[in-house]
Amino acid sequence: MRTVGSSVVRKEAWQKVTGTAKYTDDYAFAGLLHAKMVVSTMAHAIITSIDTTEAEKIPGVRAVLLGGSYPLVGEAIRDRPPIAVGKVRYHGEPVALVVADSPVLAKKAANSIQVLYEPLPVVNSATQAFEAGATLVHEKLGEYKRDNEIHPPIPGTNIASHVKIRKGDMEKGWQECDSVVEASVSLSISDHAAMETRCSIAEIGPDGKIKITTSSQAPFMVKRLISQYFGEDMGKIVVETPLVGGAFGGKAAVQLEILVYLASKAVGGRPVKLRNEREEDILTSPCHIGLDATVKLGSDRHGKIKAANIRFLWDGGAYSDKAVDLTRAGAADCTGPYAIDNVWCDSYCMYTNHPYASPFRGFSHSELSFAIERTMDLLAEKVGMDPLTFRKINAIMPGNTTPTRVLLNNSNVGNLPKCIERVHELIQWDEGEMIALDERFVRAKGISCSWKTSTIDPDAPSGVILTFNPDGTINLMSGVIEIGTGTKTVLAQLLAERLNMDVNNIYVKMDVDTQTTPEHWKTVASRGTFMAGKAVLQAAEDVIRQLKAIASCVLRAPIEDLDVADSRVFFRDDPGNGVHFKEIAYGYQYPNGNSIGGQIIGHGHYILRGLTHMNPETGEGRPGPEWTVTAHGIEVLFDRRDCTYKVLKAITVVDIGKVLNDKAARGQVMGAMSLGLSFAGRETFVFDSLGRVRNPQLRTYRPLHYSEAPEYMVEFVETPQIDAPYGARGVGEHGLLGIPAALANALSTAAGVSLQKLPLVPEMIWKAKEHVRP
Amino acid sequence: MIPFDFDYFRPKTLQEALQIFREQMAMGKKPYYFSGGTELITLGRVQLAKADAVIDLKKINEVRACRIDGDHIVLGSCLALTEVEESNLFPLLTKTASEIADHTSRNKITLGGNIRGGIHYREAVLPFLLADSTAVIVSAKGVTFKKMSEVFQGSLRLENDELLVQLITERKWASLPFVHVKRRRQWETGYPLVTVAALMSDNGIRVAVSGLCAFPFRSEKMENGLNSKGTGIEERIKMALDGIPATVLSDVEGSAEYRMFVLGNVLRDLVSELEGGIVV
Repeated sequence: MRTVGSSVVRKEAWQKVTGTAKYTDDYAFAGLLHAKMVVSTMAHAIITSIDTTEAEKIPGVRAVLLGGSYPLVGEAIRDRPPIAVGKVRYHGEPVALVVADSPVLAKKAANSIQVLYEPLPVVNSATQAFEAGATLVHEKLGEYKRDNEIHPPIPGTNIASHVKIRKGDMEKGWQECDSVVEASVSLSISDHAAMETRCSIAEIGPDGKIKITTSSQAPFMVKRLISQYFGEDMGKIVVETPLVGGAFGGKAAVQLEILVYLASKAVGGRPVKLRNEREEDILTSPCHIGLDATVKLGSDRHGKIKAANIRFLWDGGAYSDKAVDLTRAGAADCTGPYAIDNVWCDSYCMYTNHPYASPFRGFSHSELSFAIERTMDLLAEKVGMDPLTFRKINAIMPGNTTPTRVLLNNSNVGNLPKCIERVHELIQWDEGEMIALDERFVRAKGISCSWKTSTIDPDAPSGVILTFNPDGTINLMSGVIEIGTGTKTVLAQLLAERLNMDVNNIYVKMDVDTQTTPEHWKTVASRGTFMAGKAVLQAAEDVIRQLKAIASCVLRAPIEDLDVADSRVFFRDDPGNGVHFKEIAYGYQYPNGNSIGGQIIGHGHYILRGLTHMNPETGEGRPGPEWTVTAHGIEVLFDRRDCTYKVLKAITVVDIGKVLNDKAARGQVMGAMSLGLSFAGRETFVFDSLGRVRNPQLRTYRPLHYSEAPEYMVEFVETPQIDAPYGARGVGEHGLLGIPAALANALSTAAGVSLQKLPLVPEMIWKAKEHVRP
Repeated sequence: MIPFDFDYFRPKTLQEALQIFREQMAMGKKPYYFSGGTELITLGRVQLAKADAVIDLKKINEVRACRIDGDHIVLGSCLALTEVEESNLFPLLTKTASEIADHTSRNKITLGGNIRGGIHYREAVLPFLLADSTAVIVSAKGVTFKKMSEVFQGSLRLENDELLVQLITERKWASLPFVHVKRRRQWETGYPLVTVAALMSDNGIRVAVSGLCAFPFRSEKMENGLNSKGTGIEERIKMALDGIPATVLSDVEGSAEYRMFVLGNVLRDLVSELEGGIVV
C-alpha cells in the first residue's frame, strides 16, 4: 500500500503548530454582540424572584432574556427549558441571558442580576433517585413530548428510560454456576475538560436566514434541532463549524446554539456570540455521565461464565438529552466482550439534580467496563483462576452472540484472545501480578478487556464531494468535523490510496457548513473513518469512472484498457501513454479548440446497513455494525503505607482491523488512555450535600498533567472488518475503555482490597483499607 | 475577562507607590498593590477580588532585590518565584517555591504575592517562618523591620498603608539540613493536602505546615513534641500532632482524618531523614 498505513502529517498541522488555526471564538467582526449567562447557584430550588433592573440600566445592554416563553428542548425527551422557568434543577443551570455590546458589559450586567431561590430537597445520586418515594426532579414527566417510544420515561419516578436485556434462561444459567460474585461499583459525574470551551455565534438575516457558527461535533444536528424546536425552515438554517479544540463527546450535545439563536432573535437578528468561561463549560454545559452499577456474575467450575445479572443506574443529571442513548448503549454491550448465554440487564437513565450528561468518549463503555472488569477479577479470584486466563476463556468470538443476540462472525468482531496474548507479553504477566520491592513498595499489575459498537441512528448518513482544481489536484469535502482526531487527513489518505496518487495533491476542506458540505451525521462514535471513508471510496469510484470516460475519448481506447495512478489516466499495458488529470478534469480541449467533457464532480455516500431498534422487552436487535475489541494492562508502583501510587506503564492492544495512519492511530489510542487515567485517577465533580459542585474550576478540577503520564505502550492487532475501508475498524474511543478498570484492578491487587469507586485517589484506597482492617 | 474597570499606575519609587495608595484611598477608591497579577486576574474574573486602582510595583528597585548582603540574604517581595528558584540563595526556599503552582504561573507569582495572597496556602512563607526571617515593611511613617514570627500570624498582618518590601534571612539558616514535602490529593499537581517544611537547627527540628489548617503556621508545640528526647518516635509524632494549632481542614482535597494520616507519615519520614535515619 502506498499511502494507507503511513504516518501522513495531518493536513491542519501547520496551522495548529503556528497558533494560527481558527476556532469559533476567533471569529469576531463589527456589530457582533456578546451574551453572558446568569447561572443557578443552587441544585434544586424554586426561583422566587429575578431582579434585572440594574442590568437593564447599564448602557450597551441590548436585551435580558428570562425563561418562560420558549418551547422545551431535549433530544430524546423535551424536558429542558433553554432558560430555567420557575425552578432550577441543577447547579449551573442558565436562569437568565444578557446580550450587550461587549463581553465585559455583558458580564457586568449578568453579575448585577439578583436571583432569589427557595431550596427544594435535592436528588444527589442515581441510587437516591431510584429509591421509592424519592423527590421527583420532573413532576410532569408524562407530559413531555418525546421521540423515544421504545424505552419511554416512567411518570411518577425519576426514570427517564429503562432498557432491558433478556437473553437466555437465567434460572438454568445460575444452576450451572459453581461460583457467583456480586459487586457494586460507582463513579461520579465529571467533565470533558476540552481545551476549547464551547462557543456559538448566531445571526438572523432580514430574509429569515439563520446563520450559526459553533464549536460542535454535530452542526447538522444543530440545523435539524433548531428547525424542530422552533419551527424554522430547515433550508434557512446554515450552521458552520471551523476547527474544534477537543470535544470528547461534550460537543455532541446542542445547548449554546439554542441560547444564541434566542439571543439573536431578541435583538432583531443581530449577531450574538456566547462563549463559555471555564466554570460554565464545567457546570452549565453537559458533562460526563455518572454510574452506580451492580453486577452479579457466575461461572462453572471450569471458569466459564454462565450467567450475568446487571443493573446500571446512570446519573443522567437534571435533563435527559443524550443520557437516554447512553443508557441504551450501555445495555447493548452490558457484559463487556465475553460470551455469556444467559444475561439479564436493566439499564436505567436516572434524573438527578446534577449537571446533565452528554456523551463522553466511549459512550457508556468505559463506565460499564469498570463495573464488569472489577467483577471479573473478583470472580476469577473466587474460581481460583488467573484473571488473564479467565478472560481468555470467556472472550467473545465469532459464532457467539452479543447481549442483543447479534451473531458475531469473522468480520464484525475483532480478535480478543490475540489482544489478550499480546498484553500478556507486554506487561510481563508471568513474572507475577504483584512484586514486593520492600516492606512498603510493591509493583502491581492489572488487566482488563473492553469492546464497543457504535449505537448510532440506523439511518445516520455520511456524504463526500470531490472537486478538481485546474492543475489536476483534488478538493475533498466531508461533513466530518476536525475535532483533533486527524480524521480528515485519513480520508485524504483513503482517496490517495484508491486513486494511487500523491496525498499532497489532495486538499481537504476543514471547515464545515451545512449548506455546502455534504452531511456527516455527527462526528462521534468513532464513525468518521468508517462512514465517511466508505463515502470517499464511493466518490473515488465516481471520479475514476468520469475520468476514464473522457480519457477513453481522448486516448481513443475502451475504458477497460485504462488505469488511474499518479494523477493520470493511462493505458494499462503502456503506462507512459496517457493524459494528466489537469487535461481532462475541466473538459478536454482538442488542438483546434473543440472541447468535450466538463468539470468533474464526484460524490459518494454511505448509510449503515441492517441496523435495527432494540426490542423493548428483550433488547434483541442489531444496534451497531461491528465491535472493536481491546485488552489493557496497567502497572503501578504502590506505597502500601501511604496508599499513594505512580502509574508506571499503561498498555492497550486494540484490534484496529487495519492501521490507516500509524502515528495518528497511536495518538488516538494514547490520548484516549490518558483521558481514562485522568478520570480513573483524579477527575470527578465533588458534590456537597446540597448537590452543588464544589470544584468547578481548574484550580480544583484537575485533569492529568503531562508530567504525570506513565509510559504508554500501544499495539495493534489487524483483523480486517471486511466491509470497512481497507478493513479498518473504529478506534477513536477504544484506548480509553478498559483503562479505569485496569487501574482499579492493579490497585486492588496492590492494596489487597477491592476498590469499587472512582476516582482512585489515595484517600479512597486508604479508607477502603481502613474499612477492612480487622 | 475582568468585569471591572481600574486605573493603572506604575511608580518608580516606594514613596511614589505609597503616595498613590494614599491618594486613591482618600478619593474613596480601592487601591491594589500589584506585581505578578495572577491573583487579581484569576480571582477578579470570578468576582472574588476587585480593585479601582492597580499600583504596579515592578519598576521599583527595592522590591526586586535578590542578593547576599554580608551575613544576610535579601529577597525582594516582587521577585517571581522562578527568579527565587534560579538565584537559589536559600535552598529550602528554592524547593518550596518550585512546588507552588506550575512553572508558567511561577514566572508571574511573586514571593510577596504568594505570602500576602488571598488563597490560604501561602507556602512561600514556610522557609521564612523557620528561619526567623525579618520582614522589611514600608509605610508613610517610614521603614520598619519586623520578625516574621510577629508579623505573620496565619496571614501577613499589615496595616492598610503598609507594604512588604523585602525579606531578610540570616545566611546560617540557608546551609542547614532541610526537608520539604508536599503531598497532594493525587500525583504531582494541585494544591497541597499538607506541605511540610523542616530545618534541622542546633536546638532540634523546626517545622512549618501549610494546607493542614486554613492558614500556614509554625507551631512551637508541635516542634516541642517532635523534639522531645527520650521518647519513642510514635509518641513524638503523637505529641506533635496534638500541637496542631487549629481545626484541620476537610475539603475537596481531602478529609481531616486523611490529612492527619498523611501528616503523621510525613513527620515520621522527616524525623528519620533529619536525624540520620535512626528512629527508635
